[in-house]
Amino acid sequence: MQRSAIAATTRTETPDKPKVRLGAVDIHKYYGSVQANSGISLRVAPGEIHAVVGENGAGKSTLMRILQGLEQPDSGAIIVDDVEVRLNHPQQALALGIGMVHQEFMLAPDLSLLENFVLGIEPANGPLGRIDWTTARGAGDALAGQTGISIDWSRRAGTAPVHVQQFVEIIRLLHRGARVLILDEPTDVLAPPQVEDLFNLLRGLRDNGTTILFISHKLREVMALADLVTVIRRGRVTFNSAVADTDAEIIAEHIIGEREEPALAVIDDRAPIDGTAETVLAVKDLSTPSVEKSHSLDNIGFEINSGEIVGMAGVTGNGQAELVECLVGLRRIEKGSLVHRGQDITLASNAARRARGLAFVSPDRSHEGLATTASVEANVVAGSHRSPPIARGPFLNRSAMRRVAAERLDRLGVTYANLSDPAKSLSGGNQQRLVFAREIAGDPSLLVVSQPTRGVDLNGIAAIHRILRTFRDNGGSVFLVSEELDELLDLADRILVIAGGRIVGQRDANDADMAELGRLMVLQDSADG
Amino acid sequence: MVDMTAHQGGGGSELFSRGFGLAFPFLVAIAVSALMLLLIGENPFDIFTLMANEGFGSQRRISATLSAATPLLFTGVATAVCFRSGVFNVGVEGAFVLGGLAAAFIGFTAPAEWGAMIILPAFLFAMIVGAFWLYVPGVLLARLDVDEVVSTLMLNFVAFGISGYLVNGPLLSESSGNNVTPLVHEAAQLGRLLPPSTLHAGFFLGLFCLAAYAFWTRRTADGFEAELVGLNQRFSRAVGISIPSVIIMVMLLSGIVSGLGGASHALGQLHRFSEGFSPGYGFTGMAVALLGRNNAFGILFGAVLFGALASAGTTVQLFSDIPLDLVNIIEGTVMIFAVVELGRITLFRRRRAT
Amino acid sequence: MIIEQVIAASLIMTTPILLAAIGGLVNRQAGIVNIALDAKMLAGAFVAVVVSSATGGWFVAVLAAALCGAAIGYLFSLVITRAKANMIVAGLGLNVLVAGFLGFILNWFYNSSGTLRLPGVHLLPHVFPESSGNVPVIGGALADLDPLTLFAWGSVLALPWLLANTRLGLRLRAAGNAPQVARAVGLSEKSLQDFGTAFAGFFSGLAGAHLALASIGLFNEGLTAGRGFIALAAFYFGRNRPVTTALVCLLFGFLDAAQIRMQTAGLPPKLIGTIPYLMVLVALCLAGWRNRDRKAMAQ
Repeated sequence: MQRSAIAATTRTETPDKPKVRLGAVDIHKYYGSVQANSGISLRVAPGEIHAVVGENGAGKSTLMRILQGLEQPDSGAIIVDDVEVRLNHPQQALALGIGMVHQEFMLAPDLSLLENFVLGIEPANGPLGRIDWTTARGAGDALAGQTGISIDWSRRAGTAPVHVQQFVEIIRLLHRGARVLILDEPTDVLAPPQVEDLFNLLRGLRDNGTTILFISHKLREVMALADLVTVIRRGRVTFNSAVADTDAEIIAEHIIGEREEPALAVIDDRAPIDGTAETVLAVKDLSTPSVEKSHSLDNIGFEINSGEIVGMAGVTGNGQAELVECLVGLRRIEKGSLVHRGQDITLASNAARRARGLAFVSPDRSHEGLATTASVEANVVAGSHRSPPIARGPFLNRSAMRRVAAERLDRLGVTYANLSDPAKSLSGGNQQRLVFAREIAGDPSLLVVSQPTRGVDLNGIAAIHRILRTFRDNGGSVFLVSEELDELLDLADRILVIAGGRIVGQRDANDADMAELGRLMVLQDSADG
Repeated sequence: MVDMTAHQGGGGSELFSRGFGLAFPFLVAIAVSALMLLLIGENPFDIFTLMANEGFGSQRRISATLSAATPLLFTGVATAVCFRSGVFNVGVEGAFVLGGLAAAFIGFTAPAEWGAMIILPAFLFAMIVGAFWLYVPGVLLARLDVDEVVSTLMLNFVAFGISGYLVNGPLLSESSGNNVTPLVHEAAQLGRLLPPSTLHAGFFLGLFCLAAYAFWTRRTADGFEAELVGLNQRFSRAVGISIPSVIIMVMLLSGIVSGLGGASHALGQLHRFSEGFSPGYGFTGMAVALLGRNNAFGILFGAVLFGALASAGTTVQLFSDIPLDLVNIIEGTVMIFAVVELGRITLFRRRRAT
Repeated sequence: MIIEQVIAASLIMTTPILLAAIGGLVNRQAGIVNIALDAKMLAGAFVAVVVSSATGGWFVAVLAAALCGAAIGYLFSLVITRAKANMIVAGLGLNVLVAGFLGFILNWFYNSSGTLRLPGVHLLPHVFPESSGNVPVIGGALADLDPLTLFAWGSVLALPWLLANTRLGLRLRAAGNAPQVARAVGLSEKSLQDFGTAFAGFFSGLAGAHLALASIGLFNEGLTAGRGFIALAAFYFGRNRPVTTALVCLLFGFLDAAQIRMQTAGLPPKLIGTIPYLMVLVALCLAGWRNRDRKAMAQ
């Protein structure tokens, strides 16, 4: 795996340059019992664009946080300019010339672009000295000029277009002496022409000697931009090559990995969809605009029948979260309609939809799925607190509440010590089972589930999958959003693929091909056709 | 992605930290005031012993303490209702003052032949005025996201202005000089429980409010929703709770209790409304609620403690020349350090200072 | 003649509000809503009277008042930034604490309840000679003009520039606008906020000194009469912009001055006094109304 990296190094090598500008050697990192990085090694040579690709949760972000000094590895070494270093703080990394361009740009929205550019290293004598704006602007223009872009420096950062904000953040790092830029999914926020501009900028920087580490899940972009590519899967490097020596298909296979055969057997369990299946939810031409940082949705249409799990595959951040919020009534729908069992619910509130038999397992368990500081009891009965037996008119029957809570928890085998303990005292898997215990308690007709097994251990995952299958087999409908293709293929009857806020494909789970789904997800542009 | 919040906290340490959280602000306050006393050459131990005696030493002193605690029961509950739901209402003071004025107004304008029946419309009017007063910032917060801290703070001053104007103008007593309304009819005055102490029947109303608050928090669906909203707004929304309704509800409840408190103070303690009607009962009520962690027993404890401070402070000043202002020093210190400990619950509190 | 008197009185009444508002607005730009301006004004007024009486000089007194305010502000800030206290409750608590503390000292050391009269208190001097009073219309204002008023308005004029063009000004604004950004570029947003709160204390101390030394030359427990909160209203309404805030202060100062005259004219001064607060409420509602449509979330 090091062969190609060395090959790339020799390509740009000059006598005074280090062999490795930024490197990681056998990095291990655990979060509790979860291993995020298990022995990752990476070499980035001076003046190359190195892409790191992998699914969400593969361990990319952890590695980047370590390389930036935000976190320390449990074991392993970081190399900068051929020398092993310890990075305890981002400022330390920056002092060594490593700068990170965040997905959420680090610009103060109410300050002008120029103010943001110089913040922290203002050209001024003393705290009350006048900032030499001419010098500052000169420095900014010089950096911008090298890349052929001009900037309206007086503009408030918050009102500047995102690609300009991103650009300012990049040259701010260069201005501070960064020689290695780490970019985390830099194109997520950009429109296609701006992506091309960014790539030209990055190529220009590379040609001037800047080293670029580029994190992405969009293969087309990796192919277009990078010199080298490293694939990370489940905390390990599974592939490393010069881009010129490989192709997108091969990389995609390494990202998704081999599909384990036994999982296929599960498909046989699936209850046949009989002729009496009714349409539980019909989504027609659903569109929402992009507001603040959310993704827009574009003419989403599909149906969910009773006794069916409809899966949604896609790379995170392509509109799944927004779609789920639209379905459950937490986000306003601009255009299109939702029909639940023959009744239009487009304008119904979340409470009204729940009353009609819709339930929701949030992807954000610790902030939305649960009130972690509230008691286990409150968490498992919330939402049912206005109906008997818990409610007697406006009053609560506390003993009925305790009884109902215990019944619900026992039904799904949630392990807890006391009903009055805070929900955060449970393990991740138990927390998620608690959420399910609450959501399926009212025998909903439709369960909207997003990322149900995130941060859950293997046993917990199996339990949650059992819950979903049983629910489906009893005639319930499930809309299941997941990053895990394995999970979707195991559970779903049909799989929709979302990319860029649009549904780009639909496959029957029985003859879905994992590689094909992966391609649909990551090669969205080919689907644009 | 990775759950790092699991496996935290245990029963025993939780209880300990709660107890310590209750004691901590008072320990700091005692330390600060002891320092003050040492500075002026007094023995803090003697003074604190004297204060304890003056606060609880005899039936007379206890009834004086409970009398001073009475308004704080109301303002403490009115504050806790909102704080518990994550609504930062600092406008209890204004609603208390206007409630008192409203009750006093009925108390001296209603025909005297109604007798003790006057008390009912007086309390009713005070509740309506208080509820309306806090309904306004409630709606502004729920519908327009207007910061409730600033709006309620500003409304306090508006309340002072309005009541100050009325008590110096249209409602000014002709017989008793400046800044006071006429006395309410004798029949409208709440009964004194242990004369000559000023402890009056309003104390029981305060206890009733406290009990109702405890019932509301534990035994009603509204109270359950309010607690969840206070703990996690996103979660509450996702399980179908309407945040705006909860905000408006707790503001209304807070206004009703504040108005009742004002009415009790006007009809039971002063028998009229006067300028300077409340020496900051609303703000002390915040200290009470914070100290009591929004818990009914905690509020009772806090109100009695601050009541004792106020009643003991008065007599300590007489016996030992220690200025009454020591009470304010203690109260201010408690307020500051009650929120130091509470810093973490403010973490989920959004925006601020934009 | 009446107009001349009103102008003069308005200007004098504006100064303490303006000074406190300048402090508060810088503080808020740095990210802290300072609700304890009143406490620091009160402390400043007290220190000004004591020091002026002891030294017989107005300048030392004013400086001492300002430094006292700054010291209180700094300690207050530490409670907020380091001990993570809620800034609103801690601010209200500080108001109570400082009032209690001053009352205690007043009572014990000066044996007085509420008011402190000391011999030899030097009032603020007038900048212009007595004869300037002959200038038409603004004569009264000119004759009464004191150095702190001049300083306050000078600060208003300098502040936009200082905030915009100095390193400290930029960093303060960054700390308030986006603390995580300030941290990301290696600044300590907490220290910056501490400085902002100390600055607010400094100016509130000046405001207190002006209240005590402009004309009355004594200290009273009710001297500030909620002016710290009027200042808060002013910079909220002036949306943190120095010049706008100053004009709002001038309006509030005018209302303050007019109150006394309106009383004789039969208009209720107490109701006039609520205007600043009502203005802030209206401004907040309008801002809320404008932002209403930006919320994407369904309720």
